Amino acid sequence: MPPRRGADRPTSTREKPQAGGQPSTDDPRIILDRQIGADLFEPIPPYPPRTEREGEFYTLADGEMFLNVGPHHPATHGVLRLVVKLSGEQIVDVDPVLGYLHRGVEKICENSDYYHVIDQVDPLEYISSLFQEWAAVLSFEKLMDVTVPRRAEYIRVLSGELLRIASHTLYMGFLALDLGGLTPILYGFIERDEIVEMLAALTGARMLFNYFRIGGVNGDLNHEFMSRLGDWMSRAARQTEASAGLLNENEIFVRRTRGVGILDRATALRFGVTGGNLRAAGVPFDVRRAHPYSVYPELDFNVPTRTEGDSLARYLIRVDEVRESIKIIDQCLHNMPDGPVMARLPRLLRPHPGRAWGACEGPRGMMGVYSISDGSDGPFRFRIHDPSFINMETVPTLLPGNLLADTMAIVASLDPVMGGIDK
Amino acid sequence: MAVGDRGSRVRAAPARRLAPVPPGELATPIMVPNTLWQPADPLAYEGGRPADVTHLRGFGFTDAGRNDAARWGALQVVPTKADHILDLIRANSLWPLLSGLACCAIEMMSSATSKNDMDRWGMFPFRASPRQADVLIVAGTLTTKMAGPLIRLWEQMPEPKWCVALGDCTVSGGRYKRSYSVVQGIDRVMPVDVYIPGCPPRPEGLIYGMMQLGQLVKDRRGRWNERAIGPNAPDDI
Amino acid sequence: MDRTLETRLEARLADHLRGPVYQRHDETEIRIEAGSVPEVLRILHDAVDLRFEILADLAGVDTGEVMQVVYHLWSPLTSDWLRIIADGLSRDDPRVPSATFLWIGAEWLEREAYDMFGIVFEGNRDLRRIFMPPDYTSFPLRKDFLLPDDAARSPGAGVRHVERACAPAALADDPTAGVRRAPAS
Repeated sequence: MPPRRGADRPTSTREKPQAGGQPSTDDPRIILDRQIGADLFEPIPPYPPRTEREGEFYTLADGEMFLNVGPHHPATHGVLRLVVKLSGEQIVDVDPVLGYLHRGVEKICENSDYYHVIDQVDPLEYISSLFQEWAAVLSFEKLMDVTVPRRAEYIRVLSGELLRIASHTLYMGFLALDLGGLTPILYGFIERDEIVEMLAALTGARMLFNYFRIGGVNGDLNHEFMSRLGDWMSRAARQTEASAGLLNENEIFVRRTRGVGILDRATALRFGVTGGNLRAAGVPFDVRRAHPYSVYPELDFNVPTRTEGDSLARYLIRVDEVRESIKIIDQCLHNMPDGPVMARLPRLLRPHPGRAWGACEGPRGMMGVYSISDGSDGPFRFRIHDPSFINMETVPTLLPGNLLADTMAIVASLDPVMGGIDK
Repeated sequence: MAVGDRGSRVRAAPARRLAPVPPGELATPIMVPNTLWQPADPLAYEGGRPADVTHLRGFGFTDAGRNDAARWGALQVVPTKADHILDLIRANSLWPLLSGLACCAIEMMSSATSKNDMDRWGMFPFRASPRQADVLIVAGTLTTKMAGPLIRLWEQMPEPKWCVALGDCTVSGGRYKRSYSVVQGIDRVMPVDVYIPGCPPRPEGLIYGMMQLGQLVKDRRGRWNERAIGPNAPDDI
Repeated sequence: MDRTLETRLEARLADHLRGPVYQRHDETEIRIEAGSVPEVLRILHDAVDLRFEILADLAGVDTGEVMQVVYHLWSPLTSDWLRIIADGLSRDDPRVPSATFLWIGAEWLEREAYDMFGIVFEGNRDLRRIFMPPDYTSFPLRKDFLLPDDAARSPGAGVRHVERACAPAALADDPTAGVRRAPAS
């Protein structure tokens, strides 16, 4: 066991250590870490290892040390704790500790009715919250045998693709921020603010939209949304190229991401990774094409795939997906049918007992919801499958061998959102 | 040990009484001759003769409820108007600590970036280290597992410090009122100065809250003797 | 709804199935015993006419009487999602063989099922709590873990329609009467 802080090392040169080697002080202004329970925050857990993997991880070989990239750190992915085992500057092993944002959403959803579930499920991946709603709504519509009107489907696709662009733009900004570039995040937030104000005109909220309903959406398109959307569309392609060009050819960015954190095809499939990370590894799996839902069979778009599997490939896939999303939005606007935006449903939703799985393609991967109904007003079991959870699971495989400076770059390139990981 | 309660940390002073000063009279100050070092310029520090003014009372400073002398430690020889200027300085340059936990963090970042610019009020540098930060903006749901590290961050921040609860989850537990792992409002664990409701609050709302905090800094002059853990709203609300 | 999938599954998994293959919308569902999970998953993954390569989800379910582990798989050869319900785990000591031999990604999913339900996955190298602190003693998603303001148990039970899981008169005698039980199907 490596020596603990404060043991056999005086904390101040003015104090005289006593015979036992432990510094003591009568000065009430000096509070030693061990007095307020610093043991809790040491990287090494204070209990003996309970599993094989924990024992293997928390055993230090010669020349290794632990570094606690704690739940609070400047990389803005949220509260994630990575206990990193380092040998010099090189990472030997990493143990992600989750749960700092576990809010018990599944349990709350079991005690809520179906309308409230859609609201509760928003803050999971807060950056792209419509996709959680979409997965939940797909699952409930299967439980209740509801057909969604075509106009509602087109509005869903339209708002979803807009939010996908906003999420990818933020992803590019965060990736650059973690590599040290402070400018792209500002560009990213400008674009995101535009899109999100558009969606606020449509749904009423900037971030946690609560817009989708079982059987449709909450409200029809309105003038403000359409005028903002028109303004944005006239600039969208050029803005995308400009933001992407800021980073694509930047030598520092490319050299720090090319060949770093390679997730190959076999490993990605064994993890169950989905979304852009899987497509960057060479598997063209996109839920919109593999298992189409909504009106995606009628829309014409490509699924960008790359084979390298490194961070640069993951980044370039997102850039390509933004272009594809702009194409999809264009088609939606041209083909928008008329009609109602909500199916006719009873106020009190009581489906027959049964089980349903609904999955949609979010910006990070396949977002799935498995719900069990017992005939009452709310779901009996509401299980959320979040793509960021599986993406984060690849971190102990991707990080070892890289330098510490690449930690945040690799984690950022996987695009984790802690709300979804911790539910 | 209650967090934020200075009284419980500072133990009672040892039983060594100073000579009591009769009210209204000036006591003779204890002058310690300077034998430690010599200034380079022999005429500096008034040439070595003792200073004329030795008490703040000489400057018209009274003790009637504005006892800032113990508060702003090193500046006891500065006239009291400077305390007001200090508060203005602090209010216009509140450096937040990056403490984004969940969704409200995105709105906090959005209010710090170009479109809603918090830099106009001097708040752009989000410090990563608590030692350099003034304000702890708790943005996002606080869970029981994260409460420990967050309190640690709060304790590490040097005074003067303020705390802003951003979003419904930090104000009262919000949409997670029934949850088993969410702290129902951060005022259960730390003293809060400004509450900003919303789920999430708009960036303009956050900026309004920070402006209220600036006003509070100027009004309350940073005294936190009456701050305690728990809702700090007055009883007549 | 893929009828051919039903015949292929019955051909390959004849003696492992504990009930008919149930199909609804775009999902196919089979039920198996908890102990036969490794063989079934291996057959589904490797068989040339099945090839369920992508593990979509691994969930634990507490039905009130028994516990289940539910797997969702996807295959490029069929248009349906496949749901495998490993049924019949006891609520006192639920144990299932782990799926990590086939998909490493199941490791954290099984950790989550353990953390939330207490289901022990034998063969998982890292079965410790993932969301709750390591010294937490309860399993939150079990049906006997009631939230402090649980709708079925609160004094306002029965006032809102969502709280009428059972008749309010029954709650006075039995505090767990409000716990919902799963449907029989």
